[in-house]
Amino acid sequence: MAWYNRLFNLLRSGRLSRELDREMEFHLAERTDDLVRAGMSRDAAALEAARRFGNRTIQKEHTHDVDVIVWLESAAADVRYALRAIRASPGFALVVILSLALGIGANTAIFSLINAVVLQALPVKDPQQLLDITTGNDNSRQGESHGNLSNPIFTYPIWEQIRDGVGKDVFSGVFAYADSRVDLSEGGLVRYANGSWVSGDFFSTLGVLPSPGGGRLLQRSDDRPGCAPVAVVSDGFAQRELGGAQSAVGRSISLDGHPFDVVGVVAPSFFGMQVGRAVDVYVPLCTQPIFFGPDVLQSRSRWYLTIVGRPVPGLSEAQVQAALAAHSPGVFAATLPTNWRAADQDDYLKMTLGARPAAGGLSDLRDRYEHALYMLMVVVGVVLVISCANIANLLMARAAARQREIAVRLAIGSSRGRLVRQLLTESLLLSLIGAGAGLLFARWASRLLVHYLSTGSGSVISLDLGIDARVLAFTIGVSVMTGILFGIAPAWRAVRVDPQEAIKSGGRGVVHGEGRQRMGKSLVVGQVALSLLLVTAAALLLGSFRKLTTMDPGFRSDGVLLAQIDFGNSGYDDARLLDAQNELLRRARELPGVRSASTSMITPIGGMSWNDALVVPGFTPGGMLDALAFFNQVSDGYFATLGTDLVAGRDLVPADQGRAIPVAVVNEAMARHFFHEVNPIGRTFSVQRGDSTGPAMEIVGVVRDAKYQKLTEENQPIVYLPFGAGSDPEKYVNLELRSDGSLAALSGGVKELITSMNPAISFDLKTLQAQVSASLTRPRLLATLSGFFGALALLLAVIGLYGTLSYGVARRRNEIGIRLALGAGRERVMRMVVSEAGRLVLLGTVAGLILAFATTRFVASFLYGLDAADPVMLAGSACVLGGVAMAAALLPAWRASRLDPVEALRDE
Amino acid sequence: MARQKTDVLRGTLALLVLKVLASRGALHGYALTALIQQASSNLLRVEEGSLYPALHRMEQEGWIRGRWGKTDTNREARFYGITAAGKRQLATEEQQWEQLTDGVARVLRFA
Repeated sequence: MAWYNRLFNLLRSGRLSRELDREMEFHLAERTDDLVRAGMSRDAAALEAARRFGNRTIQKEHTHDVDVIVWLESAAADVRYALRAIRASPGFALVVILSLALGIGANTAIFSLINAVVLQALPVKDPQQLLDITTGNDNSRQGESHGNLSNPIFTYPIWEQIRDGVGKDVFSGVFAYADSRVDLSEGGLVRYANGSWVSGDFFSTLGVLPSPGGGRLLQRSDDRPGCAPVAVVSDGFAQRELGGAQSAVGRSISLDGHPFDVVGVVAPSFFGMQVGRAVDVYVPLCTQPIFFGPDVLQSRSRWYLTIVGRPVPGLSEAQVQAALAAHSPGVFAATLPTNWRAADQDDYLKMTLGARPAAGGLSDLRDRYEHALYMLMVVVGVVLVISCANIANLLMARAAARQREIAVRLAIGSSRGRLVRQLLTESLLLSLIGAGAGLLFARWASRLLVHYLSTGSGSVISLDLGIDARVLAFTIGVSVMTGILFGIAPAWRAVRVDPQEAIKSGGRGVVHGEGRQRMGKSLVVGQVALSLLLVTAAALLLGSFRKLTTMDPGFRSDGVLLAQIDFGNSGYDDARLLDAQNELLRRARELPGVRSASTSMITPIGGMSWNDALVVPGFTPGGMLDALAFFNQVSDGYFATLGTDLVAGRDLVPADQGRAIPVAVVNEAMARHFFHEVNPIGRTFSVQRGDSTGPAMEIVGVVRDAKYQKLTEENQPIVYLPFGAGSDPEKYVNLELRSDGSLAALSGGVKELITSMNPAISFDLKTLQAQVSASLTRPRLLATLSGFFGALALLLAVIGLYGTLSYGVARRRNEIGIRLALGAGRERVMRMVVSEAGRLVLLGTVAGLILAFATTRFVASFLYGLDAADPVMLAGSACVLGGVAMAAALLPAWRASRLDPVEALRDE
Repeated sequence: MARQKTDVLRGTLALLVLKVLASRGALHGYALTALIQQASSNLLRVEEGSLYPALHRMEQEGWIRGRWGKTDTNREARFYGITAAGKRQLATEEQQWEQLTDGVARVLRFA
């Protein structure tokens, strides 16, 4: 009886029992009637009928429960048998369990990251209800954008319109928030924490509670114009910085130099709206002016807010969307940035509000790593499949050894199905034990990966990597599938013996025949094909990472120390600020070991960018994007410090800071794009300002192209303006120092210098190399892991090939012995084995190449400077694989050729 | 247990039930009991209650199918009919039974 029938019987045993009762009732009634007809009294007849029937309860039990119990008992017997078999060959079991622990562990580790980053909902009340407000047309945002551009972000005036207008109708609660880094230090070296500006209903809408004894959370009354500087901190932050939740309330903390009173601590389970970025400090949105100046909340061109709402009960997502769309014209008309160009204003008015589910929150980490994680999931899955093939091979060899036992059991009447079940129980048990060990390995491995991401990118990534029901279900599912995958073929093959033959031939089994060889060979072909796929992917990712690290970015990153300096709390007024910055640069140049130094607004690959549309006489832009150029403000010596060569004209000089006719240095891409290769020295251009243009600027020099935001970008047109040429002096300034000596020693000098100038200035120090390297975290991670797993796959495939060949040679000892005895040369025997291996590897390689052609385009988005179907990479991978595989084939071939014919034949 | 001697041999009950159902069409449990006793000239006795677990198991195996219906006495009873799979099973079991009895008979004759 099928197991599902039995299970089903258990579930429906109530109905079954009633049916049986009716049936038995009928039987007794009929019997009683017959006995009465035969002359018995009714009472005596009923007694006799019951006697003849036997014990009704026992009969009923026999009907259903017994089946289940028998089944459970036989399953328990199978498990006992499997355990005995595992104990009987501990070496074999250890190899299998270890390789499964690694294989399943790697799969679980990647899956638990996917779970934490992609699948888990926010730890708030009913997260599936939350909706994130979107705009239909994102190209219409102009001005400053803070935050991740893939997420819809809004200005404060738009937020006000939504909060006080349509939001009231469709949402039971709606809030806006903006995430940003805040500096905890009060001058000196910065100490960053993750901050979040949140509107009044943030916590109440999410249903988040304060930590026990941890004061209160922010509420609507905290979020009013001109509000008091209060803050709520995370439980972790309270423990780390403020001596626990109880003592945190009432303390004062400094955020970017401004004092805030802590009024409460958030419950530990809540980490903020972004997976991977645990917020430390929440402050009301109305405190923005404290950080960014009095007019910041009125700005209609400052895009930084994410808006999330919980719909009124009973309202569907579509209804919310419809209401938002209907109110859009009003919202945008009321917040129109009137200083924009007419065409841009038209685009602005055409925007439509929408909504989308926000149960998982919005996460930069997810945007960056979701697809990379899926790719890694496939990679580790393939590795697991390859190692399954090896285990299947091992199990088959073992089944051959157990053949006599199986033959005897078949002969005395065991059914083949029963035996298959018993053998499968053993493989399932092995894979479950492997999975158990794998879970431990996964916990360690996923933490290691997160640690790697954190240190690589320079920001702390916090993820909940606990093993929840989903991860557990995944692991159990994978291990059961694995157990069946590597167990079914050997089990099936093991019981397909003819008992008579097997017992007659003694220990030398018949499964030892062609069948097993054929299966072993097809497994090897599959392994070679799959491992070629992974080797190719690894080659592509490693190759593109190599290109990234060896490319010429247009600047030299070694030997440069960067100081990011915040003059915000320095107390200098605007008139003295530039002087102080110039003074700092002058004194930095005198530090021992400094070869050259400069100041700038933006550093390469630093994540900051500034672009504007240019108006160039004689150049007609093909569209708004075509007129864009990137900008920077740099002091004299910037190009020498960064190692970017001047190709024409002159460097900027200090005197350029206050020139009547502004001057600029441009890069070659700018000259190429806007001046069509003509020497641009002496030519002028200006910057688009709304519907008018700014003052004309004269080009005095041309420098080589250098990467601006990312190493992977095309060279962009860049305009370098003299440092301090803007109307307002910048409060955030970068100092670059090139040194031939130790940068660690130099950073000590820089620290001392800045602190001695003004202890209220806060600053951050890092090397340019570290800054560039942080931008390569993802490609480095992918290259490292795919390289590791590619090598592992190759190793596993080679082990499989080696095992199959060695086994083939052992099986053909006789044949080879006869060949040798009849005068076949040793090299001929070797050629025979090697050519067999060659056939398998060739088949596998062809299959693998087809597979690679079909699938490598999925890694295309992770590649730089390489085509996903790069023929050199594909051919190279195939050669490496072929070479390694053939090297592995040489050993069994050599052994075959060294056979002593006399020995080999005597064995028979 | 002495009583078992008169009981239907273990494993042969299914054969008997299938045979009776194959020749007589759908029957309820009580009629089956009576028919088996009658056909064997009362030599074989089915312990009446033990028939029902057996019927149930055979139904799970797909050899017979039960349906509720009315008897002549106007009582609700479950009528069992043989299925195609049941007919195949019957052929196998009949053959096995003949081999067994044949073998046993030879041994008894020549031993």
